[in-house]
Amino acid sequence: MALSLENVEALAPDQASLDAARKLLKPANWAAVASSGDGLIWGECQGSGATPYRVVVSEADSGYECTCPSRKFPCKHSLALMWLRAGAKLPFATAPVPAWVSDWMARRRGPTAASPASSGESSPKASMQAAASDPSEAKSDPKAEARAAAARERNRQEREASVLAGLDELDVWLSDQVGRGLAGFAAQSAQVCRLIAQRLVDAKASGLATRLENLPARLFSLPEAIRPMAAIQELGQVHLLAAAYRRQNANQDALPPGLKADVRQAIGWSVSREALLDDTDAVRVRARWCVVAALSEVQPDRLRRLETWLWRETELEAPRFAVLIDFVPVATGAASGGYSVGDRVEAELVFYPSAVPLRAQIVQLFSGAASSDEPLALPGYNLAEAYRCYEQAMLQQPWLGAWPVCVRGARVRRQGSQLFLYDSDERAAPLALPLLPAQCSLASPLLNIAKLDAIGLWDGYYLTLCWAQTELGRWVNA
Amino acid sequence: MKAKTLKAQALPALLAGTNRQAMSFANGLEVLAHEDAANASLNALSLAAQVLRFERPLPPANFNTEPVIEDHRPILPHAMRRMLIRLLKDKRTTDDLERALAWAFGRCKVRPHPFDLPRIDAFVHAHAEHLGLTAQRWAEQGDDSVAPQQSYFDADDLDEMTWSKAPLAQRARFIADSRKHDAAAARALVESVWTQENADGRVRLLMALEAGLNSSDQPFLEGMVKDRAPRVRSLAQRFLARISGSGAEHPALKACLERIRRSTTGLLKKRPLLALELPATVKEHEAKAWIRNTFAEVGCDELARALALTEMAMIEAAEKDENLLLAFALMAAQDRRLDLLEQIAGGRLKDAWEQLSLCGVQDLGLMPAEERLQWAGVLVRPYGAKLPASYAAWSWLHRSLEGPGPAKLMEAVFRTSRWLSDLQDEKKLGPEWLELLAALCPSSQRPQLRALMMSLDAPLTMTSLPLLDILDSLEKVGHHEQ
Repeated sequence: MALSLENVEALAPDQASLDAARKLLKPANWAAVASSGDGLIWGECQGSGATPYRVVVSEADSGYECTCPSRKFPCKHSLALMWLRAGAKLPFATAPVPAWVSDWMARRRGPTAASPASSGESSPKASMQAAASDPSEAKSDPKAEARAAAARERNRQEREASVLAGLDELDVWLSDQVGRGLAGFAAQSAQVCRLIAQRLVDAKASGLATRLENLPARLFSLPEAIRPMAAIQELGQVHLLAAAYRRQNANQDALPPGLKADVRQAIGWSVSREALLDDTDAVRVRARWCVVAALSEVQPDRLRRLETWLWRETELEAPRFAVLIDFVPVATGAASGGYSVGDRVEAELVFYPSAVPLRAQIVQLFSGAASSDEPLALPGYNLAEAYRCYEQAMLQQPWLGAWPVCVRGARVRRQGSQLFLYDSDERAAPLALPLLPAQCSLASPLLNIAKLDAIGLWDGYYLTLCWAQTELGRWVNA
Repeated sequence: MKAKTLKAQALPALLAGTNRQAMSFANGLEVLAHEDAANASLNALSLAAQVLRFERPLPPANFNTEPVIEDHRPILPHAMRRMLIRLLKDKRTTDDLERALAWAFGRCKVRPHPFDLPRIDAFVHAHAEHLGLTAQRWAEQGDDSVAPQQSYFDADDLDEMTWSKAPLAQRARFIADSRKHDAAAARALVESVWTQENADGRVRLLMALEAGLNSSDQPFLEGMVKDRAPRVRSLAQRFLARISGSGAEHPALKACLERIRRSTTGLLKKRPLLALELPATVKEHEAKAWIRNTFAEVGCDELARALALTEMAMIEAAEKDENLLLAFALMAAQDRRLDLLEQIAGGRLKDAWEQLSLCGVQDLGLMPAEERLQWAGVLVRPYGAKLPASYAAWSWLHRSLEGPGPAKLMEAVFRTSRWLSDLQDEKKLGPEWLELLAALCPSSQRPQLRALMMSLDAPLTMTSLPLLDILDSLEKVGHHEQ
């Protein structure tokens, strides 16, 4: 993959970092820059101290590391190295991977830890990973292990009990809201939701707590007229989740495995990456994926949620879409993941267990991300058929959030300032999905396009248009 | 249990509150009360939520009708789109770069990609008239003061029926062109829209009538002597004064004459000597602006006639007064009298370029591009290899030319490497200078300029090199299509 200036811009935490990086583009600042020839570049940048900062960048997924003490990620040195590479401003000689670069690769968490660059001969002689797997230290005490397992099981049971107690409190709270009436719920939602969210955090039901904490913002993003109905929908789902959790807790086989996993994740039981990779039943798909959307949202807990939506291009019996979700502290300034819309990558993904698998992790990359303008071969669904897919998914997971829809032959229409994705196909009842108001300006050039093929995320209220293929080329929400 | 029943019975109670309005579990909802009486209301809430979630969104009763825009201009090549967005997004570059791009779009008759318009919104709003019909429509969308049109026309497609819907600059050009063929018909077109125009529009359209001014225009011009806008009144009086036999008074000329002191010099042969007396209230730093305001509306021939001198004699008589020479240089450019300007800038006012730049933007009106280049050549020539180091002067030249400068200017830049190195030594050379050079560089000299830029530090050329690429690409696409 070749780094592009767009990647560099997207990765930059702020304009000041880019401006600072620009000043480091002079060759004199760099003692050495080199490339491994298979997607790794590194260099030594002279800072104000005697020792130059060591910078390494993985081109495959725009990963980076620098020895400078900056609290911005990526720092100006990493940005400058990427910039030098993207702009071909300095020749990068191919050289053997130095030990400090290999060490970083070995320590890296994520897909490239298994990439070709970090395997084989270039592995470091000594690394933290190797130390962790040293067989001489791996001899474990069976009694200690049993004790630890028992402690884990005890903790789990305590948490289960705590969550159930929290759900009882939630029921009381929900009953209070229903007794008071939901017509005016939105107006007081900020206060009442914060209280119950705090109680659910105490009860270790963090997923449900986040859902309720985000609820006021979600309601206020909707037109006032539909807020009462939206409150009914949102609180109804919360109760449904609580009921489903109790049911799976009372009877292990009450719910299908996928739905059970969905319920537990929605309540707050997370699945670690390691556990997911070890899960032999998890759906694994090796295919060519195209990035169709890269979304970023700041959460109330000061974490930025980065979503990278992937479309499977290879024909297989497997989920068509996948979403990679990362969380980074807002304070680091990082505002985008490593991928840009339009990037294509060959990778093996593992999906989190779900009735409708969407969220995934990259197991292994088989190629670096390469930007391409090729159109996607979308299935021939009209809007009504695409919407039916959403309904079917909702049947399987009733608290379904944003769902990707792909549609062909639609068009964008306008009523007042609101845009709609509209399908005038006479074979089906007319359907118009309102576009997210925030993207109406960006999408308004599509009003003059007679027919377009599109991918969007439908959340039940608004469609976030992510990708459109038109006679004038590709439109993306970026 | 039917969704309709559930909605009819549960929703009113959920909205109003079950404390006020008890939920009815009749008509098929009994099962909710029987199965889990304690949580019957909450179960009804969940079911109602699912019913609402499965309701399909209904399309609006009708959609807006979008205007038909037939924009036949070719679109900026895909490879250049990202570069253009990077240059123009978030206002990271100078106004000169923006102007250079806008004028190049207009000159080459190319348009930005419609999908990029929201991303370069500020640029489109500022320069819509150069960017094609789609961009014009885009710029009008957010402007509440402009009524949206149902159709748009490019400058080349304008005729007597559609001209009034074009942007002001295009309208003025259309009228000026029409005056050459049929002066009366063009005036009639202006008369037909006169009352709907604002002051700016009236001034520009009136200026367009200057070509082919004749006695048949007199009644129309006399009607303007009482116009609300002083600029229109003054311009109309000036035109009336020009029409022979009209006997109209020219207040601007009168104001100029009041400030010119006439005397004689020479022992054997008495020669006239002219000097400009600035009003006592005009301070030194305001002098240039005052000169521009006072002399801009007077023609060289009018003033010479009033002074009973030939135009050349008038310039010779003012050779010891820089301010007066500057005023004559302004007037000469306004009258498109490059012969007179050459006389002034050639030997008498050698820094006319810098002096004129201090007066404000030179409005060359409807002067064709070739003539503008000649005008710039006249100003640049006296400098030879000693080019000015004032960014404002270069920027002024670019704004006045509305496009690339004369080849001689860039030749001087290439020839005198010291000029650039001096700028660098004085730490004056920033990216904005190189943007301006790129904007002023004619296409034939761009390879040379590119080579020069490649020898500079990368941070200096981050915006100017992409600008050169885009300008090249625009010209290629534009010429190719033509």
